[in-house]
Amino acid sequence: MDGVELRLPPDVAYVGLARLVVTVAARSAGLPGERIEDLKIAVSEAVANAIKSHLRHAVAAPIRLTFGTPNPGFFSVSVTDAGGGFDPAPAEDNGTRSWAAESGLGVTLIRGMADAVDFRRDEGMVVQMRFSLTHNGIDALKPPAT
Amino acid sequence: MELSLNHRKEGDRTVLEVGGEVDVYTAPKLREKLVELVGEGNYQIVVDMTKVEFLDSTGLGVLVGGLKRVRSHDGSLSLVCNQERILKIFRITGLTKVFPIHDTLDEALQDTE
Repeated sequence: MDGVELRLPPDVAYVGLARLVVTVAARSAGLPGERIEDLKIAVSEAVANAIKSHLRHAVAAPIRLTFGTPNPGFFSVSVTDAGGGFDPAPAEDNGTRSWAAESGLGVTLIRGMADAVDFRRDEGMVVQMRFSLTHNGIDALKPPAT
Repeated sequence: MELSLNHRKEGDRTVLEVGGEVDVYTAPKLREKLVELVGEGNYQIVVDMTKVEFLDSTGLGVLVGGLKRVRSHDGSLSLVCNQERILKIFRITGLTKVFPIHDTLDEALQDTE
């Protein structure tokens, strides 16, 4: 399965639906059960960020969610929005992050759950995530090809 | 799955039982409940997350907000959680250092900090 695309209205009520659809697709693609929870979190965070960005900038257009296995051995998910975009904080040691900052937790979770992630500014933001279908992702920590 | 919220008194503690999915859509209800409980003078809160199916960063933010609220009244907010998938979220975000997290409700109620 490569290149399934889902368009979601910019309303946080749809985050649960996105989570559900991507989870079912990942299961049928063979993502191990213990990784499904990681996927759920990462997808929810990326979709929620995209939707919030559209709401903040009053963009009525839908956000785009594409997923499948275009790269052998990986389940890939990409979330594209047309909001303002942002510069994600660099990956950091969570021992040094300030918990008082309640924002930025989403990006930390995406980095922690996906085997590889790429944040790219385009019209808005493009977040590409990969989850290894074959192992726990230890050897998969390279950025996805664009 | 919807969010469920139930609270009761256990001695001087207030136990808030959370179930279902706490995400960007449902977390505002949890925030309202915590604000309401603190507003009513409940400053020793135990959030029982045993039945939580899903938790995202918005939910984490709401719990941190709750902690700040009770602390401003010299109170406490501890969590009951024994599910690895939920604990992992607290670990990745460094919040295991912020919240006392207990395996069981009994353990949380016996903890006198």
